[in-house]
Amino acid sequence: MKKKHVSKAAILDAVITYVILIAVCVIFFFPVLWIIASSFSRSGSIYDIKGFFPSSFSMASYVKLFRDTAMYNYPNWLLNTLFVAVFSSLIGTVLVILTAFTISTFQFKSRRLLMKSALVLSMFPSFMGMTAVYLIMVNFNLINQLWSLILIYAAGAPMGYLVQKGYFDTISNTIYEAARIDGATNGMIFRKITLPLAKPMIVYTALTQFAWPWSDFILPKLLLKNKELWTVSVGLASLDETQFSRFAAGSVFISVPIVILYFSLSKFLVAGVSAGAVKE
Amino acid sequence: MRRIRRDFAVTACVCMIAGMLAGCGNSDSTPKDPDEIITLRILENDTAKSKGYLDELLNAFNEAHKEEGIVAVDANMDEYSNLAENGPYGYGPDVIYQANDKLMAYASDKHILPISPEDYECAEYIPEQAWDAFRLQVDGESYTCGIPVNIQEPMLFYRADKMPENWETEWDDDGNGVADFFENWNDLYAYSKYLRDTDPSANKDSQYGFMASFNNLYLNGEFIFSYGGYVFGKNADGTLNTEDIGFGKGNAATGLMALRQMAGLMNEGCIDDTITSTRYEKVADGTYFCTVSTPDTYTLFVEKLALQYEDSGMSKEEAQAKAEENLKMVELPVRLPADGDLSRDSSELADGDWVESVVMGGVNGYGISSYTKYKDACVEFVNFATSYDMIKTRQEMLGIAPTRSDVSAESGDQTSELIFQSLSENRIYLMPSVKEVDQIWTPSQTLLGDVAKDSFRANSGETEKYKTVEDMQTALDGVSKNIYDAIYTLAD
Repeated sequence: MKKKHVSKAAILDAVITYVILIAVCVIFFFPVLWIIASSFSRSGSIYDIKGFFPSSFSMASYVKLFRDTAMYNYPNWLLNTLFVAVFSSLIGTVLVILTAFTISTFQFKSRRLLMKSALVLSMFPSFMGMTAVYLIMVNFNLINQLWSLILIYAAGAPMGYLVQKGYFDTISNTIYEAARIDGATNGMIFRKITLPLAKPMIVYTALTQFAWPWSDFILPKLLLKNKELWTVSVGLASLDETQFSRFAAGSVFISVPIVILYFSLSKFLVAGVSAGAVKE
Repeated sequence: MRRIRRDFAVTACVCMIAGMLAGCGNSDSTPKDPDEIITLRILENDTAKSKGYLDELLNAFNEAHKEEGIVAVDANMDEYSNLAENGPYGYGPDVIYQANDKLMAYASDKHILPISPEDYECAEYIPEQAWDAFRLQVDGESYTCGIPVNIQEPMLFYRADKMPENWETEWDDDGNGVADFFENWNDLYAYSKYLRDTDPSANKDSQYGFMASFNNLYLNGEFIFSYGGYVFGKNADGTLNTEDIGFGKGNAATGLMALRQMAGLMNEGCIDDTITSTRYEKVADGTYFCTVSTPDTYTLFVEKLALQYEDSGMSKEEAQAKAEENLKMVELPVRLPADGDLSRDSSELADGDWVESVVMGGVNGYGISSYTKYKDACVEFVNFATSYDMIKTRQEMLGIAPTRSDVSAESGDQTSELIFQSLSENRIYLMPSVKEVDQIWTPSQTLLGDVAKDSFRANSGETEKYKTVEDMQTALDGVSKNIYDAIYTLAD
């Protein structure tokens, strides 16, 4: 067998690349490892840590998280977060996909104006309008209602339609024209042609629409006054300084579903992110 | 198409007008139906909730008032929820339990209703100083806006099993059965220095004496108020004069020299909140001999100490019992050196060489929200919550020092008696009950932290900033000016 010759420069290049990549991985992974280790601290305190890690370990923080609910009702916060994230994701995904499909497929009056307006409005940080959001919600009696969060997340979702529009732009118009010649209506085209082709994009959209409410803090903090309605991020922020391990355990646990989702759907996710990047 | 548009526009207009009209009409929300249940939302502090006292109170009240159709429930909000933000929109509590400075800041902005003390059975048992914490002066009239429940002051926490074995012979010169380092600051300094000098560890970080985060005015106010400093002065009629800011008055600068000296026996954690956060573990593992905190944190110290005992092989029950036995809470030493020099031998000081320490404290109490629909029911609730039985239960469950003299006198609890006595003897400087007090914390925290840091500057090659009393005086005057500017110049 002929031996493939690898130059010294190539080896050096690979070594340097790997060293840099490993260093970056360590830098990013270390805080995660630290918070996971802290969640197993026996004393429950950040100040029990000798060097980088706790001096003794136990599962007590996880047990407390789910059993000691008199003051900090984590299971309830988790259910609230799940409810908000799932419904925001479902409704938001439908709205984003519909918006992107409409803008991509149809030519109508004010289309360009609408696109430009959406682009400009999406440049403003969302917390700028929080006072106005609060007053609007007060007047509609939507404070202390989980549906108020879903309404805002879902209604705001179509503002980020550009990635999806880019993907729909790559679907050749001739497919739609052929379908129309065969007598398909716009609804049929959307359901029977566009949606099956857009599976990676739908998964990507659903995942991003899920991740935002899953970890958002500002909006739930603003709109939910009642502790029973708090989401995990608001609840964890209310833990006092002596409850650090419980905070760490809560943070680790809340990140598990999203990590699983990302890993199991990574195939679609990568396809969704890169889709539409190159126009053919 | 045009017709559809017109019809749509008309329908939209009708909906909008209907929507606006829906908001009109009678807004009287008092119950018209005699069978209607009045629900009171009560916002208590987290300790009362976690220890089960709030449930006890609500159940007892609801049982006693079930015939009247009044039900009290937990407001279930964050204990520091902003009444000013939530109250006007109807999301705030009806009755709120808070410290006097917070409650009176709300009262200044009319978020809390004025009350008549004579409506409350507890009134005659509560000392005037405690009532004063909830009095507000408006246009020459005095209004009471809160009902005092308990007094808070910084206390010293230590482990009895970490007392030096020879303390009765070596550290109790007056032979009164109380170690000298719990009676005066010079001996506390001397014992802390002894511990530091004999620290066996290579890094010299395994044994400290008194430890505190010195950036906290509330916990370290004795270094200012014992020496004649004050927050706000008083007018001739006894009302607070918020233009007269007195952090630099009297010999407060001398007091801060003592603070600076004490910081020299700690580590750099005294500059910021580090010691406040580590104190529970460090007292438990014996690194700190004693520290300062408020009485409501007692259970946290016990919890950490119990864990420590468990680690040494005790059962959970044994560890808890031993922790409760060994964790002690006493008042801060009552004497400070008049010249601010903690290193002087206490046995050489005459009575006139001391000043009596005045610590900062607060009074927690109930206030009634201005936005409640049921004022009379709220009065009924507060009357119930401040009754002898409920305050006694509160004291037993939460270890508070009640303002009710009858409960305090009959309890047999030395801590609450001591605190009550200190209040009546003016050894507690109560946080001023005006909203301007919000402006004192940040500047004072910055200065106190900086003074503590001065003890470490020489070691790191920096120039010391507070070598003399004059330096300290200049800094204190600067703080007073900053606070004045924050209240009057920047706020305008």
